[in-house]
Amino acid sequence: MKYFTRLKYSDSFWALLFLSPNLILFLMFTLVPVLASFGFSFTEWDLLRDPTWIGLGNFKEMFSDRIFRQVMGNTLYYSLVSVPLGVAFSLLLAILVNQKLRGVKFYRAIYFLPVISSTVAVAIVWQWIYNPEFGLLNYFLEFVGIKGPNWLGSTKWAMPAVIIASTWKGLGYNMLLFLAGLQGIPEMYYESAEIDGATRMRKFFHITLPLLSPTMFFVVVMSIIGSFQVFDLVFVMTEGGPGRATSVLVHYLYQSAFEYFQMGYASAIAWVLFFIVFGLTLIQLKWSKQWVQY
Amino acid sequence: MSKRNLMLVVVLFALLVASNIAAAQVVTLRFTGWEASPLETASVQRGLERFMELNPNIKVDYTPVAGEYNPKILTMIAGGTAPDVFFIGSRSYRDFVARDVLLDLTPYFEAELELSDFIPSEQLKMLVDDKIYGVSSCTVVSQIYYNKDLFDQAGVPYPPADPAEAWTWDEFVEVAKKMTVVEDGKVVQYGVHGFDANLQNIVAMIFSNEGQMFSEDLTEATFDDPAVIEVLQSILDLRTVHGVASSARFLEQAGMSSAHMLATGRVAMVVDGTWALQELSQMDFEVGIGVLPIFKKPATTDIAHLHVASKATKHPEEAWKLLSFLSSEWYQTDLVSAGLWMPNRTAMYTEEGSKSWINPDVHPEGYEAILPFYTDAIQPYPFLFLPQKAEDLTNEILEYFWYDNWPIEKVVETLNKEINAVISK
Repeated sequence: MKYFTRLKYSDSFWALLFLSPNLILFLMFTLVPVLASFGFSFTEWDLLRDPTWIGLGNFKEMFSDRIFRQVMGNTLYYSLVSVPLGVAFSLLLAILVNQKLRGVKFYRAIYFLPVISSTVAVAIVWQWIYNPEFGLLNYFLEFVGIKGPNWLGSTKWAMPAVIIASTWKGLGYNMLLFLAGLQGIPEMYYESAEIDGATRMRKFFHITLPLLSPTMFFVVVMSIIGSFQVFDLVFVMTEGGPGRATSVLVHYLYQSAFEYFQMGYASAIAWVLFFIVFGLTLIQLKWSKQWVQY
Repeated sequence: MSKRNLMLVVVLFALLVASNIAAAQVVTLRFTGWEASPLETASVQRGLERFMELNPNIKVDYTPVAGEYNPKILTMIAGGTAPDVFFIGSRSYRDFVARDVLLDLTPYFEAELELSDFIPSEQLKMLVDDKIYGVSSCTVVSQIYYNKDLFDQAGVPYPPADPAEAWTWDEFVEVAKKMTVVEDGKVVQYGVHGFDANLQNIVAMIFSNEGQMFSEDLTEATFDDPAVIEVLQSILDLRTVHGVASSARFLEQAGMSSAHMLATGRVAMVVDGTWALQELSQMDFEVGIGVLPIFKKPATTDIAHLHVASKATKHPEEAWKLLSFLSSEWYQTDLVSAGLWMPNRTAMYTEEGSKSWINPDVHPEGYEAILPFYTDAIQPYPFLFLPQKAEDLTNEILEYFWYDNWPIEKVVETLNKEINAVISK
């Protein structure tokens, strides 16, 4: 060790050295491709021949593309429903597993299991559940006298069905984040509130929620970003159908790039997606000053 | 260095050089395809072993792609690691030719093979502006499969295999009604499944009614042709009016292939491609095959893939040897007698020729009767000549017709409008 210090390598040298594998991979596989795709969004490129510059042509085409409008609408629908649903239920789960019950660690693991399960396996199981004739869901609905629809075969119900499956799969992840946030709230606040005679509801709305707001902010922002990028579970469950009822933005992006020989157009879609999500995040950051309490 | 050591070095060096020369003469070809079924991959491997026996200086590395095929191939070509020889889907063939990434096989083809040996639909498929960039692998068309036991139990005559005796659409619907069993208000056996499951099946029926989805030169979509409308409506009526068909998505989402549906007696007749015979013949029930019902005349359509070589291949001569082998009668016969493929040579459909591949373990009794269906009734699938987006749009908008109660007028109007937009770009 004395040998190395004599060589006068500073601390920052060592820091950079150990960071370099990660940095190089980041540059090669994330930063450079992202910047390159920005360039490609102004070109027409079919992957097999050289790209040709077309300026804003791809962006203009998006405005008159019926399919783009439809998938954008689908994605907004997905986001608007799945985010509140996911946040609410994962918060509920977190509160439930935050109790000092026997076996609570087991429940935490169970609720997290869907997050790490194979997307294809989850998709297949939910397809069976949603089957109109021998699926579990319609079977149970019959007991309460409802004739369940053809979930994944109906342009009206396919998206709600997919939202439920997809949200269910992601609950465990946000549950853990909320759990960490809940456990960061000092017990003394609850104790002093109890002394003053606070009900459970008041404790929740006046202690838990406010002190949870930084975690809530993080979960909401990440959920919104993730909901705009949804693809794999939806695709495996319905392939975007029936028609294009469950086709989301990233699905159309994928098709444009790899099936329709329009990599430039796909890049343009990717960047439009980026600006939308970026804009939404900025809005939330500004707005957070009003309700997040640190 | 001592004399002995020097000699040792010289001998070792000579051995090294010699082995390099010998190694350099063995060409390794990279061959990529998709895996339609493990049975197919096994057949391909058998064929390749034979090819390598016949060509000891060529080694073939076969890598089937599981999952999405075109993205993989596109990325390989874009990244400069295109395989030497690969499968290409019939719909993608012309797109790849237009982008100049396939080896022009015309001189090799003309030297060794005869175009007129191939059945007419395959000739049309291979030729692009009088040049050949891919060799047809086989033929694959839509037809009817049925469960003989169910028909025996119901006392209903089997669907005909001879195209000259094909049922009219109305006769077919009557049979489907007889073969649909309802118990306690639930359908336990559907008469038919599959017309709306696959665009090829729909197109076959449109051809049967002499409907024109496109103008002759394929520059305009004409889905509002009354003959086309009649076919689409008839197919929907199978489910909504006659109750003899289930919706395509529903059974398939239960994880059932058409083979399972027939085997378990959920469906009496299934419309599917000729490839299904390989799996069906190995199942525990008696399967029969029949021609599609007709509106005006027997018709079906084919979408079999081709084998092509990359323009960037360093071994065009060897690649051609492999391509020629893959379309040889020997290679075809193995896959044809297993029921996965149908032959693409007219000679194999003659009485003499068909004896070489009809297999009693696979092909049902009386199979010979259906042969004219393959030689005379195939019409070229129009989407082979159009961008992929046109086919996707057709599938999408037809799904609104099958599942979303769109009126037929709106369906054909939207089809025409959106497909014309794609064609004109």
